[in-house]
Amino acid sequence: MFDFLIHVTILACLYSLVALSLNLQSGFGGLMNFGQIALFGCGTYGAGIAYKYDLGFASGIVIAAGFAVCVGWAFAAIGRNLQEDYWGMATLALAEVIRIIVNNEGWFTGGAQGISAVSPLFPSLAGRMQQVAILWSCVAFLAVAYFLCRWLTDGRYGLGLKVSREEPQLALSLGYDVAALRRECMILSGLVAASAGFVFAHYISFVAPEQLVSSETFLIWAMVIIGGIGNHRGAIVGAFLLQFIFSFIPFFKDLVGLPTEFVAAARLAMIGGGLIAFMLWRQSGLVPERIGGTKLA
Amino acid sequence: MPENLLHIADVSKLFGENQVLRGIDIKVTAGEVVGLLGPNGCGKSTLLNVISGFSRASAGSVIFAGEDITSTAVDRIARKGLVRTFQLPSMPRRMTVAEVLQAGKAEGLGFRSLFARSRFDARDVERLLGELALDHVRDLSAGSLSGGQKKLLSIALALRTNPRLICLDEPTAGVHPSLRQHMVQLLRKVNAQGVTLLIIEHDMHFIRELCDRCVVLDRGKVIADCSPAELTLNSGVVEAYLGGARDKRAYA
Repeated sequence: MFDFLIHVTILACLYSLVALSLNLQSGFGGLMNFGQIALFGCGTYGAGIAYKYDLGFASGIVIAAGFAVCVGWAFAAIGRNLQEDYWGMATLALAEVIRIIVNNEGWFTGGAQGISAVSPLFPSLAGRMQQVAILWSCVAFLAVAYFLCRWLTDGRYGLGLKVSREEPQLALSLGYDVAALRRECMILSGLVAASAGFVFAHYISFVAPEQLVSSETFLIWAMVIIGGIGNHRGAIVGAFLLQFIFSFIPFFKDLVGLPTEFVAAARLAMIGGGLIAFMLWRQSGLVPERIGGTKLA
Repeated sequence: MPENLLHIADVSKLFGENQVLRGIDIKVTAGEVVGLLGPNGCGKSTLLNVISGFSRASAGSVIFAGEDITSTAVDRIARKGLVRTFQLPSMPRRMTVAEVLQAGKAEGLGFRSLFARSRFDARDVERLLGELALDHVRDLSAGSLSGGQKKLLSIALALRTNPRLICLDEPTAGVHPSLRQHMVQLLRKVNAQGVTLLIIEHDMHFIRELCDRCVVLDRGKVIADCSPAELTLNSGVVEAYLGGARDKRAYA
């Protein structure tokens, strides 16, 4: 049970990073990105490709960062002349295009089979020690990302993002280059999501296009909305809450004696139901955004 | 010879086949307060959109401080010192008045500003909150303010950008009379500090109290350019506002 809890906590930390990234875009930048999983995939495939071509761990980081910058930039570029809702659809489409390319360009990405046996983290350690080392690394990583996101949003940059989020015309009339702000936001948050993907690939030692399906994006959206959009702590709370609930659904199934199909169905129902319930009755989530939270003095 | 801060040179604007502006030519001297008047639908707001970059002129050019800004992006025009307010200002709901005012200064923003947390300009924000009588609402959501308070906040935001010219789109529409008088005093003070003002307005008392000169538009053309006192003596202006022989001809 202890190993299982460590495993779930590691996954919750990694999902928290992706949720923090999405929250930076949607909660602070007003960017309704429905292709978030592609940014996570930049990290997983950065790690996978570096392993496949025997380029080493550091090269993997560079490749993942390079992919994240390119995809973040592409997302921002297609949104230049699109309204929020159309941009959301375009990001969903772009993420699907990326997944299909990954699925079909087997010579480079391993195709549908993916890339397996990616080198694990802390190979010199074994068993539980290795798990604990990965756990503490993920917790530290999450803490650094949290403070980095706060640093970004608590300053003038964050205030600029917030004005652009709600009133882009006002922001323009005040002299904000809204397109540049959004581009920077996409690239910075893309790097956070890709870093989670990079660690994930090394943790589970496997990379495949099925990890990039759009339902994963909506899982991350559910985490952000249930946790509290526009609040970094909310994103983390939402990620931990959903990840732990998801992980304990199989135990609940065994306890009540439900069929195996119940697990997948319950997870999907929780994502959809959670999204609808919170959007209808508690739009601000469990940890609402604090209006006036920026220390101006 | 006083310097022309803004020159709207022979500007025309078409929406499809509908010509909204027809060869508008207006010069605004630095330090002036110019009223832009005209009946509803005469093209005032369209002209303001063209000046501020929100809309492109179909012909002609806009020269600001000696530089052609006809095709310049809105944000770049604002950074050059030409800012505008909106007829129905919309403010962020998830930011306080103080936060919005602090965000009003976009100058120097970009990756560099990530390292500029200490550059919050609290003193300037406090001064503006006091001057615009908004200090009692400083911690309220900016989107929850009354229409008049939002107009005051939009003027304060324009002032945060260190403007050379502010274009105000109906600043007194829907504003309580007490706030209106406060606005007159504030704009006089702003003008005394060297900021040029171009004001779209229907309130003639406001225009008389504030403006040095009035430009009147009708059906996309300049029909008068005179002092506020001369407005009622101008038959073209009276006809445009109250109707006259021309309308009778139109309905004959």
